[in-house]
Amino acid sequence: MTRCVVGSIELTYGPMSDHALRRTTPQAGPTTTDERESPTAVRLEDVTHEYGSSGGRGRSSEDRTVTALRDVTLEVGAGETVGLEGPSGSGKSTILHAVSGLLVPTAGRIQVLDTADLTSLSDRERTRLRRHHVGIVFQRFHLLPSLSARANVALPLVQAGIDRSTRRQRAESLLEQVGLGDRTDHSPGELSGGERQRVAIARALVTDPDVIVADEPTGELDTATGADVLDLLTDIGRDRTVLVASHDDATLAVADRVVTLRDGRVVDDGR
Amino acid sequence: MSPRLRRAAVRTRAVVGLAFAQLRRSPGRTALTVLAVTLAVLSVTLLASLGVGVVETGENGLENAGRDIWVTSESIDPESSDTANPIVGAHGMSAEMTQRDDVSSASPIAMHELYVATDDDVVRTTAVGVHETHDGFGFEAGGGFETEMNHSDGNYSAADRPSEPTTEEIVLDPGTAESLGVSVGDTVSIGTSRQTARDDEFTVVGIASYYSQFLGTDVETVPLTDLQAVAGTTGTDRATFVTASVEDGADRDAVAADLDAAYPGYDVRTSDEQIGSMVEERPLVLASGATLVGLSLVGGVVLTVNLFALVAYQQRDELAALRAVGLSRWVLAGTIGVQGLVIGLLGGVVGLAATPLLTRGLNRLTEAVVGFESLLRTPVEVYAVGLVLAIVVGTVVALLTGWRAGRYARLEHLEA
Repeated sequence: MTRCVVGSIELTYGPMSDHALRRTTPQAGPTTTDERESPTAVRLEDVTHEYGSSGGRGRSSEDRTVTALRDVTLEVGAGETVGLEGPSGSGKSTILHAVSGLLVPTAGRIQVLDTADLTSLSDRERTRLRRHHVGIVFQRFHLLPSLSARANVALPLVQAGIDRSTRRQRAESLLEQVGLGDRTDHSPGELSGGERQRVAIARALVTDPDVIVADEPTGELDTATGADVLDLLTDIGRDRTVLVASHDDATLAVADRVVTLRDGRVVDDGR
Repeated sequence: MSPRLRRAAVRTRAVVGLAFAQLRRSPGRTALTVLAVTLAVLSVTLLASLGVGVVETGENGLENAGRDIWVTSESIDPESSDTANPIVGAHGMSAEMTQRDDVSSASPIAMHELYVATDDDVVRTTAVGVHETHDGFGFEAGGGFETEMNHSDGNYSAADRPSEPTTEEIVLDPGTAESLGVSVGDTVSIGTSRQTARDDEFTVVGIASYYSQFLGTDVETVPLTDLQAVAGTTGTDRATFVTASVEDGADRDAVAADLDAAYPGYDVRTSDEQIGSMVEERPLVLASGATLVGLSLVGGVVLTVNLFALVAYQQRDELAALRAVGLSRWVLAGTIGVQGLVIGLLGGVVGLAATPLLTRGLNRLTEAVVGFESLLRTPVEVYAVGLVLAIVVGTVVALLTGWRAGRYARLEHLEA
């Protein structure tokens, strides 16, 4: 076991357990998804976001602002898998980006686990929060083409200053568990779409985050490959909080509940 | 090692690894950026070596003249019709100086506007009057002349010197010779005005551009006493400079100080000071030199800045992804910064290696075209400036653009 203290957070890295993709750190709350009264992992309160409002120096900035979220209030319990559905532009991705601290909403409060309101944190603090608690899976994978699958998976550990051999060990173990044990030295260019997404999922898991956000994780994949990736997501969702945005019914079917969005508003929170 | 240091070391190693992976990923782009830095370095080293060469050529010119001390006058006498030749009684003064124990020889130099004519043609040019030509002239054809100083006993009087030209030999500038269509052995006539241009006949004994180099215009070399006779200044014995050589072992600065005290009406300078004063009198030359060096530096820096901004921009998707997975701006800046360092180092080394080759080629070209030998000089300082530009500017600029690249590392690039 390698113990690593990053800021006030203690991470424990070691060989993965036999239970595929199960957490290696003890969790704060119960892991069963059936318990509705489970502690809240993600909370959005009256969140409104307007794109273009921050750079509004020009005279016509008013005309250019697009309201992506309007007074969104949403709670996701620890260990819950929540799907976000809605047409393009309904605000699914904006919610995911706000939860991961990649953007700061124009108004409202966001809380991830027991941290302070995300909107009050500095850029640096939000990066740290993301590094420790949130894993992101993108539609287009966003792997570094210059690195091997293993190095891509190990990348998030670089910032924590974890030594190379532990990084490799952890990455190889995760790749093994997503079924790519024989592909660790391949570059993204040498992998299929489904394999790339599995590498991206392994990367999202490498810091053992509490929350996983996945934006159209099967959007670039054919049905069969998409099904494999969904199995993987279901596995992950057993003891993590997962937010998954998608148009695809098969993808949304892995969620414990589905939140429906229209024009930046929650029209059905699936409860 | 403290845990904090250990983590920093681990991060640094990883950053270096990432940077090399990015460089290896696009060998074509890496080669092109190295080439661009090489060009920036070359523009600086070549222009700097040109600057050094120009100054050294000027210094060598004065050194070739073999003169340690230059006496002249900057006071403009409104009574005088000849402000270019402010020294009066130049031969007498030279004789006096030569009598000093610490001065081995002294001789005057005069400059006049001159008309050189053949039967068909007249050109207006400049003449320098000296007692003899020397080995440093670099004659393209023919040779030089040598005349007596005729003041060896110090009891000089104007009557000792003829008021008519006696040697009647001239060394022409190649440009003048070409425009008049004359060569060694031909006869030309000279005078100080268009009317008197055909009064005195001189034989062309040599073709050389020695003084032309320094004055930046066509200059003919004429025996001093002949030039004074033609110009009608034999009586007043006017000259532009009196130059002196000190005896071996004598302190040049001390002799110059003594002479300065002895001739309060004149400016006495050592050859080094004379260079400085000649350069100071030409602010335009100084300004253009400084502008060239400044432009080459600014150009080099701008090129490097653009280059690394472009490198960072091209990697914006990767940077955005790295940022999204939680890497700090410092780590991102580091990966671009290390790429800058490597590219700067490679470009610098290639640029420095190419400098002597190109310098040699350009020197051959300038020698063939304008006649200067080794106009571009590359002392070690020139290489140092080039290397500093490549490495320091490369790394600093890359770090800054890497830091700024945090701006690229935004969502838009991940959604595109």
